[in-house]
Amino acid sequence: MKIKKILQALDAISFGYKSAFLLFIIIGGMISIILLSQISSYTIKNDFDLLFEKRTKSIIKLEHIKDTYVGNIHVTLNDMQKNIINLQQSREVITLARQLIEKNWSHYLNIIDSEKYQVSWLDAIIKKIFIGDEEKPNIILQQSIIKNIEKKQKRISHLLNEIFNPYKQVENLFSSIEEVNYEINSISIYITSLTNYDLNMAIQEKHDTDQIFDLLSLILNISIVLVFLFSAVLSAFIISNFKKLHFALQGDVLEKTEALQKLNNTLEIKIKKEVENSRKKDTLMFQQARLASMGEMIANIAHQWRQPLASILMIIQGVQSKMKLGKLTPEIINSKVKDALLLAENMSETLDNFQNFFKPTKEKESFSLKSSIEHSLTLSKYILEQHKVNVSIRVPDTIKLHTYYNEFSHVLLNIIANAEDALSNIKGDKFIEIIAKEVNQKVYIYITDNGGGIKENVFPHIFEPYFTTKYKSKGTGLGLYMSKQIIEKHMKGIIRCKNVCYTINNNKFKNCTLFTIILPIKGMTTDDK
Amino acid sequence: MINRNINILNNFNILYLEDDVELLKQTKDVLDDFMLEVFGASSIEESMKVLESEHIDIILSDILLKGENGVDFLKSLKESPYTDIPTVLITAHTETSYLLEAIKLKVANYIVKPINLKELLNTIHDIVLPINQHKEAQKSNNLIKTISEVTDGKQVEVIKYIMSNLNDSDEVNTSYSEIMSHIDISKPTLVKLFKKLSEKNILTNVSHKKYRFHQDSLDSL
Repeated sequence: MKIKKILQALDAISFGYKSAFLLFIIIGGMISIILLSQISSYTIKNDFDLLFEKRTKSIIKLEHIKDTYVGNIHVTLNDMQKNIINLQQSREVITLARQLIEKNWSHYLNIIDSEKYQVSWLDAIIKKIFIGDEEKPNIILQQSIIKNIEKKQKRISHLLNEIFNPYKQVENLFSSIEEVNYEINSISIYITSLTNYDLNMAIQEKHDTDQIFDLLSLILNISIVLVFLFSAVLSAFIISNFKKLHFALQGDVLEKTEALQKLNNTLEIKIKKEVENSRKKDTLMFQQARLASMGEMIANIAHQWRQPLASILMIIQGVQSKMKLGKLTPEIINSKVKDALLLAENMSETLDNFQNFFKPTKEKESFSLKSSIEHSLTLSKYILEQHKVNVSIRVPDTIKLHTYYNEFSHVLLNIIANAEDALSNIKGDKFIEIIAKEVNQKVYIYITDNGGGIKENVFPHIFEPYFTTKYKSKGTGLGLYMSKQIIEKHMKGIIRCKNVCYTINNNKFKNCTLFTIILPIKGMTTDDK
Repeated sequence: MINRNINILNNFNILYLEDDVELLKQTKDVLDDFMLEVFGASSIEESMKVLESEHIDIILSDILLKGENGVDFLKSLKESPYTDIPTVLITAHTETSYLLEAIKLKVANYIVKPINLKELLNTIHDIVLPINQHKEAQKSNNLIKTISEVTDGKQVEVIKYIMSNLNDSDEVNTSYSEIMSHIDISKPTLVKLFKKLSEKNILTNVSHKKYRFHQDSLDSL
């Protein structure tokens, strides 16, 4: 149960902490394992070194000394006693042996006392920690043995000196040799015990080393197992976390995809709707523009009818008043009727002119550019006359167009109406000039007026729908927009506008507006939509 | 204004400014029967020429002229010596925006196109009527002055005195002695004059020192 709780607690830790923890454990474990293995190998090497250098070497030295005593001195003395060799020879041999012994002994002492062969501090610490207070090696025993050996050495060398003293002939040579032999025996016993001591020490140290090695490898194993365990557990957690995350993300992605698909579907519908709306709007605008231009045309008719109508009314009232005054004669009646008939005919002609405009023609037709321009000017004749606008047309009779007649005259009327509107605000001479030419299968129509040009802040908007500089009652803001639509969409042409300096009839006008219409002749004839 | 005497138009000259030649001709034809003389003009410039050469009593102008308008004409009139000639504007319903400006320029009246002849004549009549009356008054004044020169001036002076002292109810408070203190006239002549006036029922004694003037009895003479 507790483990479960811990696991749950672990599981509850955030992903970042978990991975950091895992990393910490892995790195910490690695470092401790490396450290421990380093320590153990170092300790083992140290112990081995110690065993070899201090114990084995010293034992060898001691054996050497023992051999020298027993082999050389003892044998030489015996030989000398048996007179196998003479005194001189034996003295040389023994001197040599004594030198050897001295050398080996000093080596041995060196080894024992040497710092180099002491237990290293790390080793000592480890031993202190893991083994506790071990029994100190019996140094006193060693010291006393060494003292005894040295005493015996001195004794032997003293005896040997006495034996080989050339000035003093020893009487009791044999007893001295016997004593030396005895001393050599005892020294070899001492050396053997010292050797035993060292061997014991070596055995004990080996035992210690084994103990430390066991302990260290145990710790190492445990720590390896722990690190592995923790790593495994944490990895499992992290993997499960990944899995959870993966599933959550997958769920999210699926959800989002679904939403996106839905959005896509609705978007399609929306786009369809929008397209439909804009189409509706377009047709609505066309209708609006058409209504507006109809209104303008009706206003034109009204203007052109007002004067003759007033005249006819005046004739009728005049006849009545003359009759009342008794001045009515057949001559007067005849002349008045004639006048009235003329006026009425004029009015009827005006109606005929406009009738074409209201006729909805949907077919393309061929017509002369010049006559269509003239017709458009007839329709706006009254207002042009009112403002005393001079209109000059320089259009060759040969140019023929094949397109929608009404829409084209609609465009012309719009541009003329705008020009006329601008001209009504200026004083002095007023001009509209219409020039056309045909170049490379294209018809260029230039319509220029000296109405002061278009203001800079207005200029970028003139082709926008519902943009107007006029009062609401006068302009709908659709005229030029519709003109652009007609020219560019229906006739595949171009309509442009700019402010120019222009010379009309040798008069230079600074602020003029120039509308350019470019119509392709080819496109008009082939592209029958 | 009922029963206008259209005949008074006969005494006046009119200037008619209209750019449409046909309408100008027809309207002039009709107006000729009523006015003393009709001068037609089709532009402001022409009108100014007519004004310089002829005596014009009233101006009639269309508001929309080719290249100019009636308001411009009014403005140029105000700067000319003919500023006092009353002007009537003819306007279409769609051109009413000009009228506000025209009112500022003291236009006498306006009529709406197409012209109704009766309305036109009435409008002209209403404008010339005060001029006519002024003329008539001038005439009467001259008449009286002339009469007083050729007959007994004293009696005319007494009548003038009485007339000028009449109150709102056509009565006067006066006495012979009061009149005599103002005008050098003998009493018998004065008594004779009062008697004569009383006989004709022109000036009657209402009470002491109070006389009443009877307009109606004068009209029936």
